[in-house]
Amino acid sequence: MQLFFHRLLVIPAALLLASCGGGQRKGVLSFPASAVGKEAEVLKIQVRRFEKENPGIMVDLRKTPDASDLRHQLYVQWLNARASEPDVLQLDVVWTAEFAAAGWIMPLDRFKPDVEDFFPGTIAANLWDKKLHALPWFVDVGMLYYRTDLVSPPKTFADLIKSAEEGTARSRLPYGFVWQGARYEGLVCVFLEHLGGFGGRILDEEGGVVVDSEEAVQALTFMRDCVAKARIVPEAALTWKEEETRFAFQNGETIFLRNWPYAYRSMSDDQHSKVGGKFAVTAMPVRSHLGGGPGDKGLSAGKHTATLGGSQLAINANTANPEAAYHLIEFLTRPEQMLERALMTGQYPPRRNVYDDPKLATGLAVPPKDARRIIESATPRPVTPVYAELSEILQIWLHRALTGQVDPRLALENAAGEIRRLLKKVGLD
Amino acid sequence: MHERPNHSTEKREARLAWAFVLPALSVVALIAIFPLLWTFWESLHVHDLRMPWRGNPFVGLENYREAFTEPRFWQALGHTLFFTAISVALEVVLGLILALALNRAYRGRGFVRVLVLLPWAIPTVVAALLWRFIFEERGIVNAALINAGAMDGAHPLVWFGHSLLAWTPVILADVWKTTPFVTLLLLAGLQNIDSTLYEAARMDGASPWMQFTNITLPLLKPALLVVLIFRTLDAFRVFDLIYVLTNGGPGTSTEPIALYTFTRLMNNLRFGYGSALSVIVFLVTFLLAVVYIRALGVKLTEKPQ
Repeated sequence: MQLFFHRLLVIPAALLLASCGGGQRKGVLSFPASAVGKEAEVLKIQVRRFEKENPGIMVDLRKTPDASDLRHQLYVQWLNARASEPDVLQLDVVWTAEFAAAGWIMPLDRFKPDVEDFFPGTIAANLWDKKLHALPWFVDVGMLYYRTDLVSPPKTFADLIKSAEEGTARSRLPYGFVWQGARYEGLVCVFLEHLGGFGGRILDEEGGVVVDSEEAVQALTFMRDCVAKARIVPEAALTWKEEETRFAFQNGETIFLRNWPYAYRSMSDDQHSKVGGKFAVTAMPVRSHLGGGPGDKGLSAGKHTATLGGSQLAINANTANPEAAYHLIEFLTRPEQMLERALMTGQYPPRRNVYDDPKLATGLAVPPKDARRIIESATPRPVTPVYAELSEILQIWLHRALTGQVDPRLALENAAGEIRRLLKKVGLD
Repeated sequence: MHERPNHSTEKREARLAWAFVLPALSVVALIAIFPLLWTFWESLHVHDLRMPWRGNPFVGLENYREAFTEPRFWQALGHTLFFTAISVALEVVLGLILALALNRAYRGRGFVRVLVLLPWAIPTVVAALLWRFIFEERGIVNAALINAGAMDGAHPLVWFGHSLLAWTPVILADVWKTTPFVTLLLLAGLQNIDSTLYEAARMDGASPWMQFTNITLPLLKPALLVVLIFRTLDAFRVFDLIYVLTNGGPGTSTEPIALYTFTRLMNNLRFGYGSALSVIVFLVTFLLAVVYIRALGVKLTEKPQ
């Protein structure tokens, strides 16, 4: 089956090579990108700089819906029609495999991109059929916020429960830990971090479904126990998305919070937040920092896991101008452009060496060394063309387990069964 | 001028009539029948926008087979029927009581009628948000229950986290919002009933209950039928209210068939399968309408006698 995809990808690429004769760096590139506020501002500056450096190439910035699912629908319609525009696409991290398998974006290998410096997770997320299909533009990662005035950062899940229980008893906060537990994409991100911490995965290297492994059952059981047994996570969190959890933390109602970096800035603002200067971030914990203990039946110690989000840049497989398009992508993902972008928008660069620049600290809310440490553990969600369906199956079964409708083991067995059937149906097994 | 035989005139007029309604009919065909047939045609294909490598092959009734073997489909259908039965029953009973009350002459009747209509005027999405706030962990309902001592303040009830309790706000919101519509239609029906019938009944010594069962209900039948058809079909296709209130959760415990169809069609972009689901929804609603008309024994187009 892999071979079949392979062939599909090669044909359009070969046609393109034949038709444009290579090396051409002239023409108009259309590029729909997130175009609100500071993001629009910095993009305009950088695109103008690019045009000045590359006379003959014009960039036509287009406005697209900011909501990710709307943008996805729009892209799918364009690309399905085999339109040659837009030339350059801004992709959410979970779309790359889908678009690559469909043959809608071209592999970037022939341009020989230098990816040495990128965090490994950000590259892994953009590989399909072992080829790189998009370059990371900026990243988002899940992190653990904790109250520095009440607890020290937990290394293991056991530490986390203990700190949460003791901390709430001492400080009389209503909650110990909050995360996004509503039935939506965020829940899968939270689960992935627990799963990785317990040493489990959703899909293995070969694409086999392993979300019903013993590690996974333990991870989900841990999450359910946090709600139903230890009661450190409020039941209400099972209806919460990012903002509700942020409010709980910034109103000083919880000791721990799992959220994205965006929350850092507003929670540092003393006008709205009761916890300014009283919190820090760390990576989500692991099962054991000593390795599999005797009680763990030889299970792995787990690894710190930060769900990877963010944007990538890719090239429409039907573009009339692949060379120029790649040139633009390469330009926008250079360290100096990333630094400027970070300073203006506060978005986190996917290149390691940008974090060595002392200026970065003035742009990012999270201290760069903390951010860098967490992004090192950035883990992509399953890289598969049917991610959206896979995620939907997981969302439903995770939510059923967390709301006590089914036992965690049964939930994961059912989810795994449905995912296997899905992969089989589309020929990816 | 010769007078033509009568039947020929009739024929010609019939032809003329057809010619007159032809534009209207073609518009109906274009915007109703054509999309319906197109949807049916789509439902016989794979057509998956997200997986163009699967092509767009004709698969016969495969999409229908998939729906009928999918537990989530049957659950969604069950949820929809459950929601429809309970909310429509409550709405018709409450609406009838309100209509009877409003039909009496008293001071300020006009004002009360406007007041009753208010929930109907509020957009569904706004109403759904209101009810979401009311039933949230720190909403009015929980606050009232805690104040009354019926709930432990440290562990408030999470309405939207329980598969059965989550139906409470959903059904309440629907009843609150659409009872006014039922009231309005039934009130119109009540006002068409000749008041002399009641006078005559009173003369014969009929009790108010006998008047209600022997005069009001039978004469209200056409209005009731309209209400039942409208409400049942509307409730069966419920989407926006649940989309905002619970989004079908927890898990898929409150997911109606329309939301399931939407997910498959718009989120998964499976046009073929989504079309099959749409066709099923259409057939079920059509069937329901036929059943109502048969069961109540009234013809919608019948002229009042």
